[in-house]
Amino acid sequence: MTLTERRSRIAALVATGGMVIALGACHQDKQVVRGGSQGDVTLPQQQARVANATDTTGLPAEGALARVAIGDLAGVGNNTLDADVANPYANDRASVEVGHEYFINMNCASCHGYDLKGGMGPDLTDTYWRYGGSPADIYKSIFEGRPQGMPAWGRALPPAVIWKLVSYIQSKGGTYPGSLADRGRQGDLGDNTDTTSFSTLKGRNNVH
Amino acid sequence: MNVNERWIAVLAILVATGCGARETPGRGADSATARTTTTTSSSGDVALPAMASRSAAWLPPGAGNGDWLMPSRDYAGTRYSPLNEIDTTNVAQLQLAWTFDDGESHYGHEMTPLVANNTMYIVSPFPNRAFALDLTKPGAPVKWEYEPNPSPIAIGKACCDAVNRGAALYDGKLIYNLLDDHTVAVDAKTGKELWRTKLTNVEDGTTMTMAPLVVDGKVYVGNSGGEMGVAGWLAALDVNTGKELWRAYSVGPDSLVRIGADFKPFYSWMRGKDLGATTWPANAWKHGAGAVWGWVTYDPDLKQIYYGTSNTGPWNAAQRPGLNLWTSSVFARKADNGMATWAYAMTPHNEWDYDAVNENILVDIPIKGQTRKVMVQFNRNGYAYTIDRTTGEVLVAKPFGHENWSSGIDPTTAMPIVNADKHTVPPGRWVRDICPADVGVKDFEPSAFSPRTGLFYVSVQNICMDYRGREVSYIAGTPYWGADMTRHVGPGGNYGEFIAFDAATGTKVWGIPEPFLTYSGAMATAGDLAFYGTVDGWFRAVNARTGKVLWSRKLGSGIISAPMAFTAPDGHEYIAIAAGVGGGAMTTASQPGFPARGSSYYVFTLGQNIPATAPSSRGGEGGAGKKQGGKP
Repeated sequence: MTLTERRSRIAALVATGGMVIALGACHQDKQVVRGGSQGDVTLPQQQARVANATDTTGLPAEGALARVAIGDLAGVGNNTLDADVANPYANDRASVEVGHEYFINMNCASCHGYDLKGGMGPDLTDTYWRYGGSPADIYKSIFEGRPQGMPAWGRALPPAVIWKLVSYIQSKGGTYPGSLADRGRQGDLGDNTDTTSFSTLKGRNNVH
Repeated sequence: MNVNERWIAVLAILVATGCGARETPGRGADSATARTTTTTSSSGDVALPAMASRSAAWLPPGAGNGDWLMPSRDYAGTRYSPLNEIDTTNVAQLQLAWTFDDGESHYGHEMTPLVANNTMYIVSPFPNRAFALDLTKPGAPVKWEYEPNPSPIAIGKACCDAVNRGAALYDGKLIYNLLDDHTVAVDAKTGKELWRTKLTNVEDGTTMTMAPLVVDGKVYVGNSGGEMGVAGWLAALDVNTGKELWRAYSVGPDSLVRIGADFKPFYSWMRGKDLGATTWPANAWKHGAGAVWGWVTYDPDLKQIYYGTSNTGPWNAAQRPGLNLWTSSVFARKADNGMATWAYAMTPHNEWDYDAVNENILVDIPIKGQTRKVMVQFNRNGYAYTIDRTTGEVLVAKPFGHENWSSGIDPTTAMPIVNADKHTVPPGRWVRDICPADVGVKDFEPSAFSPRTGLFYVSVQNICMDYRGREVSYIAGTPYWGADMTRHVGPGGNYGEFIAFDAATGTKVWGIPEPFLTYSGAMATAGDLAFYGTVDGWFRAVNARTGKVLWSRKLGSGIISAPMAFTAPDGHEYIAIAAGVGGGAMTTASQPGFPARGSSYYVFTLGQNIPATAPSSRGGEGGAGKKQGGKP
């Protein structure tokens, strides 16, 4: 597959996300290259970029996601606000597959590994999450980026695609449901029976 | 006895003897000479007296014998200390004098400490704090600390750990690079920032990890980001202001690469117009890497700088048919204006991530009876290149460790002869057992050269890979990588080896196999010692002539930094090293027994020089009678 074909493929993938896409001509990111006597030269990076999609039918409202905090909540003691926002595409095989394709094509795999076991970026299959491991937490990490080099994809990818990326990551078993977000943040996932993801995490002294 | 058993036996002997088998004193020159802290040509045992007495122009201004002002100590990159108080007869009495911890154990420690004016200077990995330690006081307390506060975005843009390879002292300034693409100069006396220059945007995927070279008022700095789709460059800054004077790209048209009428590559296939752009598919050079993240050396007679460029991007070579100049290459450039005089692509159309950024050590050695001005590079691809540094002619190119990707270097064209079964194009299929792996037979960890023995001292890696190329798209700020791999140990089962190498003939003189990776820099001293460390934390001193291990100490973490030697205010010779595993050494982190990360610096000297250790010490400074918290 040539690069041009590849870009077309990426565009097609975005379209399969069911979104209204305004795929303009290649986005012209400017990278200034200073070149001695030649003076300033500008490199167009020819980066395919998708505009914000507007159709979010059936997806969690932005307001609901905004209420999901990264940190614990001041003044609430040992109860953090839960992150119980469900992924509408969870456990949907087709969505997992779309998420998988994006995971490779958006270079997520280059940082987190083709097996999601980590590399430049963290392992996404273990149950340790620096910024939370519920679907809403992961959505926010992809959408907003995170300070140590995780780019923010909220302007490059439509919400439905990000949720499908979350589906793919969920399919690898390291995430936990929003109903357990409190416990996850406190390191108290324990041996809950309502998820198969944490069967190996036993013996923690749960206070809930 | 297999290798592991043999090593267990060796370690058992080391434990039994306390501090390594002490060698019987050698010839008179070794044992009888008075141990001054300066080198001289007093010993008749010097292989290359002209090299040993090179002029002061090969050192940063003001460097005394007991100083270490730049990571390689001299502009030639030899990492040779003229100190000889510690030698083959007494090195077994080395003891720990003091330690320091920079508190940054999250990331690997690849730097070399510096010493000048009775002060030790240390730069930590991210967040790149600088410390000045006062050597005139017991325990070398912190004199000042400088916090540059680089952007944390840089952490996630660094392919291979948020490392830093060190600083340079020049004209009262400590100069180094921040991971977020700034170069800073700090007043060496006070720790006050003098200037800070932004070189590029970290968000594009560029980071900076290399140690600057400072010569004649210019600071030479280069970028990292070979896995991030950057275009590599080397820039020259004014040492007084930080202002950028020029920038030479590794890829692109001649105007960007600073190729002009002076450019005369030795081999015809590298001659032509704009080859840095035309040996690529259209515009592919713009993300073709050739990053400059290794070492820069300088010849004050020819007034030229020498450095290598990184891997080609992306790793998936199917996306960039062509020779892909000038990646995986070395450049010789005029130090003043940066115009290239010659270049040589060691691994054209690089399919295996064999960067050419390793140190180019500038020595004058006899080859076939004639003394030649050469540069020697131990390349990641497994070949030791001895190259005429005036013309770029490859004089010797021989393997210095295990490689199987090629069958040799063509003597006429100097191009590698690639073994058909190790091509990684077409991608999408696994190619098994390519040796070396991406990290090479040697990575950035710098070698040393002793004019006394005429030999190079090199940490060698015995590591191979299964490799699968992958289609990849360029998306700014994300990796432009395009490969999938697993790594495994090479033949013999020892990941590491420390060798002495004769670059005039391309032959290994001796080697010390190590069960764990050897990923530390080397140092040679006038005491006829060579020092190195292992990834499992052993710091060793060996007889530079015979390779016999004379002294070993287990440090708190794996060693990927480089040792240095200095004269302390007490007039005695000390040896310093950092232990903090990380960087490319983490490719072997799954090996059982692999140590945890660390951030400590260890300083050694002969036991008799340490007040707390010397039997004659009674309640002196640093002794047992010292009041807690009180001033000494």
